[in-house]
Amino acid sequence: MLLIAVPAFAVDFDREVRPLLSDNCYACHGPDAAQRQANLRLDREGPARRAAGEALRRVSSDDPSRRMPPAYLGHDRLSDGDISILREWVEAGAPWSDHWAFVAPERPEPPATRWEGRVRNDIDRFVFERLERAGLSPAGEAGRRSLIRRLSLDLTGLPPALTEVRAFLDDSSPAAYERLVDRLLESPRYGERMAARWLDAARYADTQGYQNDAPVQMWRWRDWVIESFNANKPFDEFAVEQIAGDLLPERTLDQLIATGFNRNHRSNSELGIVDEEYRVEYVVDRVETMSTVFLGLTVGCARCHDHKYDPISQKEFYSLFAYFNNVPERGRVLRPFNSPPRVAAPTREQAGRLEEMARRIDIAEARFAEARKSARQEFEDWQDRLARPPAAADWYPGHGLAARYDFELDAGSAIEAGEVRYAGGRAGRALSLRGSGHLVDEGVADYDYNDKFSLAAWIRPESPDGVVLSRSQAFDTPDENAGRGVTLVLEEGRPKLKLIGRMDDWIIVGARAAVPTDRWSHLAATYDGSRLAAGVTIYVDGVKVDTLAELDYSNGGIKTKEPFRIGAGADEGTGFVGALDEAAVYDRELTGDEVAILAVAESLAEIAVIPAAKRSREQSLKLERAFADAHGPAGLRAAWADRNRLRREREALAGRVSTVMVMAEMDPPRETFVLERGAYDKPGERVLPGVLSALPVLPGSVPNDRLALARWLVDPANPLTARVTANRFWQMLFGQGLVRTPENLGTQGDRPKHPELLDWLAAEFVDSGWNVKSLLKTIVTSATYRQASNGSAEAVRKDPENRLLSRGPRFRLPAEAVRDQALLLGGLLRERLGGPSVRSYQPEGLWFDIAAGGGYERGEGDDLYRRSLYTYWRRTIGPPSMLNFDSATRETCAVRTERTNTPLQALNLMNDVTFVEAARKFGERMYFEGGGTPSERLAHGFEMATSRPPGPRESQILRRAFERQLAGFDGSPDAASALLGQGESPVRGEAPLAELAAYAMTAGMILNLDETLTKQ
Amino acid sequence: MKPPETAIRMTRRHFFGRGGSGLGIAGLAHLLGREAASQGGLAGLPHFAPKAKHVIYLFQSGGPSQLDLFDYKPGLQRLHGTELPDSVRQGQRLTGMTASQESFPVHKTWFEFRQHGESGAWVSELLPRTARIADKLTFIRTMHTEAINHDPAVTFFQTGAQLAGRPSIGAWLSYGLGSENDDLPAFVVMTSRGSGRVGQALYTRLWGSGFLPSRFQGVKFRSQGDPVLYLSNPEGVSRDRRRMFLDDLSALNRIQQEEFADPEIETRIAQYEMAFRMQASVPELMDLSGEPGSTFELYGEAARQPGTYARHCLVARRLVERGVRFVQLFHRGWDQHRSLPQQLPKQCADTDRASAALVEDLDRRGLLDETLVVWGGEFGRTVYSQGMATAKTYGRDHHPRCFTIWLAGGGTRPGITYGETDEFCYNAVSDPVHVHDLHATMLHQLGVDHTKLTYRYQGRRFRLTDVGGEVLRELVS
Repeated sequence: MLLIAVPAFAVDFDREVRPLLSDNCYACHGPDAAQRQANLRLDREGPARRAAGEALRRVSSDDPSRRMPPAYLGHDRLSDGDISILREWVEAGAPWSDHWAFVAPERPEPPATRWEGRVRNDIDRFVFERLERAGLSPAGEAGRRSLIRRLSLDLTGLPPALTEVRAFLDDSSPAAYERLVDRLLESPRYGERMAARWLDAARYADTQGYQNDAPVQMWRWRDWVIESFNANKPFDEFAVEQIAGDLLPERTLDQLIATGFNRNHRSNSELGIVDEEYRVEYVVDRVETMSTVFLGLTVGCARCHDHKYDPISQKEFYSLFAYFNNVPERGRVLRPFNSPPRVAAPTREQAGRLEEMARRIDIAEARFAEARKSARQEFEDWQDRLARPPAAADWYPGHGLAARYDFELDAGSAIEAGEVRYAGGRAGRALSLRGSGHLVDEGVADYDYNDKFSLAAWIRPESPDGVVLSRSQAFDTPDENAGRGVTLVLEEGRPKLKLIGRMDDWIIVGARAAVPTDRWSHLAATYDGSRLAAGVTIYVDGVKVDTLAELDYSNGGIKTKEPFRIGAGADEGTGFVGALDEAAVYDRELTGDEVAILAVAESLAEIAVIPAAKRSREQSLKLERAFADAHGPAGLRAAWADRNRLRREREALAGRVSTVMVMAEMDPPRETFVLERGAYDKPGERVLPGVLSALPVLPGSVPNDRLALARWLVDPANPLTARVTANRFWQMLFGQGLVRTPENLGTQGDRPKHPELLDWLAAEFVDSGWNVKSLLKTIVTSATYRQASNGSAEAVRKDPENRLLSRGPRFRLPAEAVRDQALLLGGLLRERLGGPSVRSYQPEGLWFDIAAGGGYERGEGDDLYRRSLYTYWRRTIGPPSMLNFDSATRETCAVRTERTNTPLQALNLMNDVTFVEAARKFGERMYFEGGGTPSERLAHGFEMATSRPPGPRESQILRRAFERQLAGFDGSPDAASALLGQGESPVRGEAPLAELAAYAMTAGMILNLDETLTKQ
Repeated sequence: MKPPETAIRMTRRHFFGRGGSGLGIAGLAHLLGREAASQGGLAGLPHFAPKAKHVIYLFQSGGPSQLDLFDYKPGLQRLHGTELPDSVRQGQRLTGMTASQESFPVHKTWFEFRQHGESGAWVSELLPRTARIADKLTFIRTMHTEAINHDPAVTFFQTGAQLAGRPSIGAWLSYGLGSENDDLPAFVVMTSRGSGRVGQALYTRLWGSGFLPSRFQGVKFRSQGDPVLYLSNPEGVSRDRRRMFLDDLSALNRIQQEEFADPEIETRIAQYEMAFRMQASVPELMDLSGEPGSTFELYGEAARQPGTYARHCLVARRLVERGVRFVQLFHRGWDQHRSLPQQLPKQCADTDRASAALVEDLDRRGLLDETLVVWGGEFGRTVYSQGMATAKTYGRDHHPRCFTIWLAGGGTRPGITYGETDEFCYNAVSDPVHVHDLHATMLHQLGVDHTKLTYRYQGRRFRLTDVGGEVLRELVS
């Protein structure tokens, strides 16, 4: 061997050596303390240096029993190339540097390039210089038609209209391109396009996932995302609001809605799950999603053990976990719809109407107050009259009253069952029961778990146990519907309301104190339809009492075929013993004042004789309400009715407002423990919230809460978030990131070919104030982006995957753009921002085949033609025409999707009614709008789809295709009308059916063109 | 294999090995001169000579009761109604459905058991046809799992992990071994509903490709509408008209190809051709008019009816005949928390005859040797009764610690019963078999070393068996 003068170390440790060590050694000699063998670690500078020589000997050993990585674990010997890299490193003295992504980016100086004349901004200097080193040249600039189509698809997810193409061609100003970029960035379609990728990352869906996969409502969060992109909300604010908007000082409703990000995870409502097991899964999902989306790290690997490759200990995983562990939530969620914490989230339009309503109610209240004042004398007069016989009828709130039983005429509308008597009551006569009889009324109180209702009665129990009012099945049965329905009962004297569904879907709320026996008490229970124990209120003698939620699950309907019973349930021997009077059932939640009035034992006449100063508040209220409602002058009654009507309208409007699940903090917070092997039931050491030690520390001056974590993520000192985000935008535009593993910038992640460019973009992004539109504009106005995508043969050979950016991007459109484009070309697309998700076409039976619950109910009209990001997303059975085109599944966070090319895609595009209808309507547009001759019409359609006119050979083929199809349809009108009958939209205008059908086929062919489906 | 084939595989490995770069993987196949639509596997696979070429997995979703079907415990006659000893339960976690139950009374089976065949395997009266072929089957009584609820448990059996996101077994095999039929997918799925009860839901992730490219996911054959989604041309478009359409489409795409030389374009052309072939091959596959009457005598008349388990068993045989690698059936409805004596016979009537017929049919055709058939659910059921047992009925909760599955064909050793459970059928006494062990064994029979079929994702090499799995050598020849 020749001795050569010591060469400069030619191997870049971080780029070439660390990946080798990480890939081959770190599983046993890396950060994971539990798995570490021979007490040797190669992930830290000191130990690695000391062991480097031995490591080299062991990896190059010919003795399989000594060789590393071990043959007995199935490893082959390292390649000669890898060994020589290690040898060079060792011979150079094992120099060390930190993993690039953990070092904060500094804005690098752009290098010089020989293609300076082609440079449009600094991006190009980095890219061209790299091409130069590879012996390649940049491709020429793409044509203007290609550029406008590329830009439109990239920034709005839709191709340009022909008028836009022509306007751009005609605009010879040097600023034309930039103006086009600005126009597209200002389009409302931009926010939708950007939101689509964010929804993948945030695992947004319209159902829970898991077993039952019931609906949730998170679309208000989705609309917040679209609005934020459209308003160009700075990305740091965008991040902070989603992670910790609830903790911001003087937070707005929008900032609270933003926190839905951390509630988009799958959630389980399956009967019989262990609550804590799934609650832990939700918190883990939040940590994993946050880490993937903002840090580009696979932190989730440290859930069960220290990370094998990156410096993330298991303890640190649980320190991050602690930030998300304080949500007042349960593992078993409600089904269907949203589980707490949740907030009513009116749309802009609804908020406006609610405000308007509040204003009108204020006016109505003032009018009523005015009317009351001017009717003061009449009120006095009326009271005087009341005090004299004959007594006026008594009064109680009448709105929403479903049934009332005063027992003056025995059972009234009800039917007696068993031993029933009547005796002197609280007012007139009362029902008197011995536990062996009750009344039955078929049609009353048929409530479900989302209905509001109130039950009330005067009771004088002689036994502390007994059912007061019920519409429920027997409790004492092994049947899974035991107790199903609504039951108001005394147990050991304590009034309880039970709302019971199947199995353990039980809400039981009981008063903490018992009501006395042998004395009259007024008992009332109200329920607000929220499916929560917190929605139940119990009143005794008109006063709200302290309650205890004994059970609090309501996952299924509670309706039952049992009748309404007064004084008993369905079980033998549980009947009420004592007297019961003035039972009432309301189809709404009574207010406290209304219940208080029901609990006033005195009639109007009896109150009237009490001197005004000695009346209780409730007695006075009863008089006033009765006067305003029934006995006052017409003006007062009208003002009162008006006020009530408006309040009801507001309540109805508020009831239509969708909620969204949001983040909230428990006080005090839950304690967090390291979970051994990640198992919910194996808590170990207790940990406090904290960030990863390999990254910058948190500022010490602020409380260490989720808000601190959020601000830490977007602190310019954080080496990852800006890089990770810029890399994802790059991926969106170029089809692959500068780091091709956007989910992992750790040591096992892909090594960027342009690390300086990534750092430059990150610095640019942060320095611009995290301005997303500005970053995108910088990228799309670069010469790099503007390159033609048909590279030279040499470029294709030397740079087959276009990693060096030797040409423009060329790849199939994402799933939603494939469909949206077809709808747009067919003139079917309904461009409307936001709103609840819609159910477009889906093959029959898809849900029914495999899912729980009913089948798919397709929407109508506009719902069929909205942009794909509004398509209803059922997590366990996603929309097939999205999944076929490699969309994320929305089960877990996804920041990278594969692009495949399959026969199922071909079938989808040719035969799915969505695309057949779009082709048919696109054909119509060619026929009616494309000119006078078939050639003109065909060229028009081709240009609409591809933004360029067909070449001569293409025109010929189009013509041949059209004529062949026409000849076929000419002889078979049935076939033509069958094809034209596809989809819900009507056939337009008057035209020969065979011709329209032939255009439909040709239009379908254009929609199926590789060029149409591709951004290039 | 021919030399060019080897070269192709080597180069393909280069691209696959990089793990989903996002570039046109299928497209590269064409660059290498091979019909793009048919997909070869990874280089170096199979790792060794396979015993089986195909798998038919008859998944019984919901958790069939081993106590009432296979694992005979005569001692329960004596113990019936007594409390399950804590020493047996060992603090095993329970589902929320019985966790609050105060008493865990042991419940015997109501069904008769007999020994069958030369092997003397115990099978209950509910499965007479299965009993008849007992000598062809390998029973595993000590299957166990980690999950106690349906979703994670089924997901665990199908993907080797309880949570969503991993590839299913069929996807792993399509990825590793490729397809043997250019006209049909390598991985086909069919689902049916039980008449015992409709049963628990299923999810597309159970045949999904997880982090593998989506072309490896299972293709669900449906019993309603098109057997494969969007297979049929729309009304008014005949096969001839579709042919013309495709010819003109290809001609236009080729012009584009001249300019861009992007292999994706050629792949797209090829995939449209495969779609066209599938439009013929799938209906041919699903058309049972050529099946003789004896077929329906074997599988039962139910096989004439679309959507039944029996029909799917017959279609599974036809798929395997045509070279399809992995056929996954799901039959729902085995979740007998209550009314077990009423529901279980219906479930068995739905499935017993056709399951046995499939094994016999494969055997007669000489396909059983090369086809591994697996029958089983995601967990078993508890020896104690759930809720109140009455004179008329009883039910059983989910039980993960031991339950019975059976294997047939594909190089398994017939006529043996493996593993022993305690007198309560609560714990395995010997030879416990973990889900990863089953997966390792299935892969082994297909010539795949389960530790070496890996895919790099998030910086880690993932495999179906995670970090576990032992091949059950005693069960295979």
